[in-house]
Amino acid sequence: MVFNSLTFVVFFACVLVLHRLPLGWTTKKINLLIASYLFYAAWNPPFVVLLWVSTVVDWWAAKKLVNAQKPASRHAWMLLSVVVNLGMLGYFKYGGFLTANFAALLASLGVAWQPPKLDIVLPVGISFYTFATLSYTLDIYLRRAKPANNALDYALFVTFFPHLVAGPIMRPTELVPQFAQPRRASGEQLYFGLALMTLGLFQKVVLADGFLGPAAEDVYSPMAGAPGALDAWMGTLAFSGQIFCDFAGYSTTAIGAAMCLGFAMPDNFRFPYAAVGFSDFWRRWHITLSAWLRDYLYIPLGGNRHGAARTYFALLATMLLGGLWHGASWTFVVWGGLHGLYLAVERALRTRFAGYAPGPLAVFGLGLLTYALVNITWVFFRAEGFGQAWTVLRGMFGGNPGAAPILHTAQLTTVALIVTGIVIAHWLMRRRTLEAMLAQRHPVPLAACMGVMAFAVAATQGSGNAFIYFQF
Amino acid sequence: MVPDGTAPRESLARERFERPGFVRLTASDRPGVAQPVPERDIPPQPWRRIVFGAFAVFLLLLAAWEGYWRDFGATPGYRNSNGAWAEQRRRIDAGEGGGTVLVGSSRVLFDVQLAQWQAIAGERPIQLALEGTSPVPVLEDLAADPNFTGRLLVGVAPELFFSGFAYRGEAIAHYHRQGPSQRSGHWLSKRLLEPYFAFYDPDFALPTVLLRQDWPLRPGLRQDMPVRKLMEMGPDRDTHIWGKVETDPDYRALTRRVWLHRLQGPPPPMLDTPAKLQKVVATQIDRATKAVATLRARGVRVVFVRPPSTGAYYAFERKVLPRAATWDVLLQRTGLPGIHFEDYPQLQGYELPEWSHLTRADAKRYTVALTPLAMREFERQERAATATTTAAR
Repeated sequence: MVFNSLTFVVFFACVLVLHRLPLGWTTKKINLLIASYLFYAAWNPPFVVLLWVSTVVDWWAAKKLVNAQKPASRHAWMLLSVVVNLGMLGYFKYGGFLTANFAALLASLGVAWQPPKLDIVLPVGISFYTFATLSYTLDIYLRRAKPANNALDYALFVTFFPHLVAGPIMRPTELVPQFAQPRRASGEQLYFGLALMTLGLFQKVVLADGFLGPAAEDVYSPMAGAPGALDAWMGTLAFSGQIFCDFAGYSTTAIGAAMCLGFAMPDNFRFPYAAVGFSDFWRRWHITLSAWLRDYLYIPLGGNRHGAARTYFALLATMLLGGLWHGASWTFVVWGGLHGLYLAVERALRTRFAGYAPGPLAVFGLGLLTYALVNITWVFFRAEGFGQAWTVLRGMFGGNPGAAPILHTAQLTTVALIVTGIVIAHWLMRRRTLEAMLAQRHPVPLAACMGVMAFAVAATQGSGNAFIYFQF
Repeated sequence: MVPDGTAPRESLARERFERPGFVRLTASDRPGVAQPVPERDIPPQPWRRIVFGAFAVFLLLLAAWEGYWRDFGATPGYRNSNGAWAEQRRRIDAGEGGGTVLVGSSRVLFDVQLAQWQAIAGERPIQLALEGTSPVPVLEDLAADPNFTGRLLVGVAPELFFSGFAYRGEAIAHYHRQGPSQRSGHWLSKRLLEPYFAFYDPDFALPTVLLRQDWPLRPGLRQDMPVRKLMEMGPDRDTHIWGKVETDPDYRALTRRVWLHRLQGPPPPMLDTPAKLQKVVATQIDRATKAVATLRARGVRVVFVRPPSTGAYYAFERKVLPRAATWDVLLQRTGLPGIHFEDYPQLQGYELPEWSHLTRADAKRYTVALTPLAMREFERQERAATATTTAAR
């Protein structure tokens, strides 16, 4: 179920009540586990089996890995975990993509082959929970962590509903220890958790779905003509705001939901549109994914410890695969590749101008340049295919003269106001936390803001649109 | 220690959250290590009072918003959601596949009243008409469903049926992929919100209301006039025109302006030449013919119905989609009977406040007049089928 649904409101109220009843800690954990399976089954009940497979395989692989005497044996158990998890991910997420590309390759060689119609349904959140379970086996293999003490704690780590389907991608060392001792939210945690959930839902329902999404959809609709410069930029800026509000809104709601139950989840966003440079951007955007890719892909590929050439290779390979993680399409690969390229160029410039310390104005300029270049990459992320991506990019650079206008004044105005507001807020907050800002405000405007946001969520009447990242 | 002249709350905030250069560490700051249990700060604020204060503000604003829409003439009603359509569609799977199903566009939805139909025919039909949407995709969906073996009334609004336009086309996909969460969400909405809140109508959604204010027109862009709220719906999609359209002259004039805007505007790119239009019409008739053949082979009795229209709408339909090139061809190709309002005096002379849909009172009268005609056609097909079966024996 999605957070922005009536079903979740009722579900979460029941979970909160159950979790606050005077029951034993093991009983409460079993309640949370069952609730998490229900949360997942509410989409498509049979796919719960995939969760069980992922849970059981990694639990046993880690157990065997710890007890293995020979390095080859340890290696084999680790590989089993990797193959099963990536195998599931590969079949469900990339099965159609791989067969279609194989058929295209054969066709280019003159071999006519019609791939079977697979009609595979993508289990929601599979990219997230396979990465979470993989990190369990890999951390133990790399001797960074010890296995969980009991299967219940491990199963709850995999399945815990706030992070299950769209992150933040949690590591076992972040969550399993929290299940060791009884946890119940204090009054402050409960109320602040509710405040975070209100903020997250406001971002998702009002900003992303209510205002920004429709404008981006109008420009990127297959029915829309080639956009002029204003429409192409505003449609892309709308999408940049939409995807931030959608995903950061999800993460904030998830963190709030976990906090209401007494658990802590890590930050997943840190005001990314105030990033200066792309290494800074990836320390602010989808932090748990970029850190996962860094720890389990970039560093094993050599990281920055084997010379410049190997570093650039590791950087590009990591970002290309990171792009592919987002979706089985070459446009996502290009999106990742562009970010890899940006990171490589930034690295080269930092090496070349090692002593350069930009002043405040230069920092602002570089920040704006970063934001503009990030928006170029969003075109590939949002477009249905390369044809549309080129059309929009051409429009952004004035290559569609005489294009008919697409967005109405109302859309242009609301998108401009919201996106400018987001960027300004990110700049004001770039060296602070949300909590720091909230700590300094007077309680009355805080209550008023929260009330207005809650009202806006209700008045927008979100239709329960799924979060964008569910498809990844 | 609290520095002089600094409130304790602010001091604590600075100490905890504003150390120079401090930003809470995340996984991005700790490469290649096992990540520790995250720390989450709670800003030192009276959160209980804040949340209860926010709840009070929320209730006040919501009450004002609800009052505004009630003052505007809205009353609580059921949402015309995809979940509501899927609920009715599932009745076929749940054993009512031998009954009568209504498909079509808003005219069948608004004009055919289920209570009057039930009083005459003895059964309450399943209302599957979708506003702004051609019924052809629904026909195809029903044709593919072996559970449906009953009677089918197909409404034909020329502008939609023969263009294939499907404003609500996603309802069919929603029915097929609706998961437990969406079903329970619809169930809760129907019982906890819809019967009590007038504002809970897609037409009154905050972005919809804000975006359709009188904004300056962008040069080169045609003024868009989206369709406003026109209907009120019951729990099983029994629907009638909204009373405000009948009683408020300004609102009625507005709804007419919306239709005029659409009727007088340039046609969409796929219909902007006679050749393109003819091709689209032929495609829709082909699709309908195939679907109807499948349905009839399964014993489903089908009748086409052309509900009334008047004024500028009727003039547009006669000019752009004349009967001889559309309706007559459809009946000829499918070999089915049709009930066109032009052919029956008892289906004429009703009041259509905005040229396209009947008043609530006239919808009842219209249904009373239409039902016997449709029943007669269904029974005629049943007799013909029985005769064919007997002859074959």
